[in-house]
Amino acid sequence: MTKVRRASCVVRGVYLAAIALGALSSGAHAQRQWAAQLDLVGGPLYFDLFTESRGARICNGSECSAANWTRDADSLRLTIPDYDAVMVAAVRNDSLIGYYHNIGRLGPRTIPFRARARPDGILRAPQRRELYGSWDATFTTDGRTSPRVFILRDGGEGMAGAVISNTGDYGRFTGRVEGDTLRFSHFDGSFIYMFTAHLDGQTLRGTFHAGLRTQTSFTAVRSTGQRHLTPPEEMTQADTAPFRFAFRDLEGRPVTQDDPRFRGKVVIVDLFGTWCPTCHDAAAALKGLYTRYHGRGLEIVGLAYEVSGDTATDARMVRTFRDKLGLPWPLLLAGTPNAASQNATQPQLVNFTAYPTTLFLGRDGRIRRTHAGFYGPATGAAHTALIADFSREVEQLLSE
Amino acid sequence: MRTLLLATALLAPSQLVSQAAPADLARERADRVQWLSADPLSPARAIALATIPPAGLTIGGDASDIPLGTATSATVREAAGRVTLTGWGPDRTLPAGRATATHGVRLLPFGASGRTQLLVYRDDKPGKRPVYFPYSTAAKLSVTLTPSAPRVQRILAPDGATVEATEIGTVAVTFGGAAVPLRVMRVSIGEDESQLLINFRDGTTGAGTYPAGRFVELIPLGHDRYTLDLNRAFNPYCAYSSIFPCPLPWSGNTIVARVEAGEKYPAEVVPR
Repeated sequence: MTKVRRASCVVRGVYLAAIALGALSSGAHAQRQWAAQLDLVGGPLYFDLFTESRGARICNGSECSAANWTRDADSLRLTIPDYDAVMVAAVRNDSLIGYYHNIGRLGPRTIPFRARARPDGILRAPQRRELYGSWDATFTTDGRTSPRVFILRDGGEGMAGAVISNTGDYGRFTGRVEGDTLRFSHFDGSFIYMFTAHLDGQTLRGTFHAGLRTQTSFTAVRSTGQRHLTPPEEMTQADTAPFRFAFRDLEGRPVTQDDPRFRGKVVIVDLFGTWCPTCHDAAAALKGLYTRYHGRGLEIVGLAYEVSGDTATDARMVRTFRDKLGLPWPLLLAGTPNAASQNATQPQLVNFTAYPTTLFLGRDGRIRRTHAGFYGPATGAAHTALIADFSREVEQLLSE
Repeated sequence: MRTLLLATALLAPSQLVSQAAPADLARERADRVQWLSADPLSPARAIALATIPPAGLTIGGDASDIPLGTATSATVREAAGRVTLTGWGPDRTLPAGRATATHGVRLLPFGASGRTQLLVYRDDKPGKRPVYFPYSTAAKLSVTLTPSAPRVQRILAPDGATVEATEIGTVAVTFGGAAVPLRVMRVSIGEDESQLLINFRDGTTGAGTYPAGRFVELIPLGHDRYTLDLNRAFNPYCAYSSIFPCPLPWSGNTIVARVEAGEKYPAEVVPR
């Protein structure tokens, strides 16, 4: 029962959509802002907490997760519905002191939590622009190494960042500098990530913290443009036959590659799950491509891999995903996110391991490119570059 | 203050040497007590753990693989990563890693496809309340990890699951006598998270604490330094339900002295 990284963070996309619609503006006057922290073994992980008339938000800069809250005379209780997690704190004047709790099959997880009210709004930590840019990090665990890329940049509301592995990014990080120590973190109500580092000459040396206690040491050097991560187009291999699929849509109708809407078109196949935050980012980006190129012959089809495996439940989740993002293309229920289901439903792919995985089909229906993972908006320039790259790919395929 | 002092003076001597557990440990324990004694998925409520065979597992009636004493039986099957329940109303999917409540039980499939296991918890089976030795400052140790060449092996984790663990070295523990090197294993608990576990026996094993030994997790202090807080020693799941396979303490990991700290074995009368 391995916890998938950043799994089931559906609320994030939902919440951002709500902000875009201005749905929360009426409760803004009741909002209270808190400078909050989890006290990990490796030091404090800072985040912003907002308690508002309609709910609460746990924020890493501009990226927030939704929570509910209740308060009585001397305690505040935040519940994070999608994660079965709660934060319970005693209220003392303008402070909260308590604990974050959730229960998994391996038992309870308990992490000290504190916050203080910040009536003047969020304080902006000073920027350290000399650290900005892309860093090639090497994590070392028990003598084995694995690559990551750190992206540090001006996030508008302070220092922001991203951590990218071979299968995508970990969500938005926000950062600050305390003395010599750089401290970047991400907390969405369940996933707890932080890296602390100091600059030693031209090398960042530090520790990556996951959860309360796990610590992994790393070094990072400025990216040179040389390959560090496995390129996303090399992660998954495809055969050369026309791509075939046959799944049911959300209304139960069978849809295949022979549907007239796909014939002779350039098709993007989005292998996704509503539980995967990065998939929300990717679908939003694909919508931009669809808007630009649909008139010239681009089609998109989404193949959903949902956790419950129950058709009614999965269809409901995917429908919500579709409606929140306003996706105009067919979304089909393809399977569940495990190796057996993936292999059974995608016999033309080898090493389909990342969500999302994006397939580009030429007008002849053959897979011309696979792309594992996605660089979300948290990655800044990498996100912009990826969208430009996808656009070029679509332009090229349309022109053939 | 005067009343408080008087009350303290009346406590038994053994309680005087102990102190209140620090707030974070007290909170962790409160959560663990709540989980084991009251949570629907307390290991104490587990009544069956079985690999789902190709023909499926039957559950319910007396002739079932997992008898519950119910009038009707159902079958749990797995195909292509999907676990289904048939026979109790309309067919339904049992999501992996999540418990589905039905007929007074909770069914939780987990593990790799093709070797999916089913855990069954019974709602009317009572939980068990863990009990603890008084907090002991002497049981909170600072230790240094002496690394060894990492060696991957299969072990039983505290929940009885067979997992791949990496033996990464030893920590020397001096506790009421000679220093004992305790072997340390890294057990993954997610893509980016792991625990540094020690499975050990001590003078209380089978005489106040669980006969098959206890686990404790190292808390990193930076570099190769760790806190080994034996007040945090905990029982494997098999102490709370016999359906869980019981890890045997790793060879060599024996502290001769009695470590009167951490979790006791509630099934035994603890000698005083």
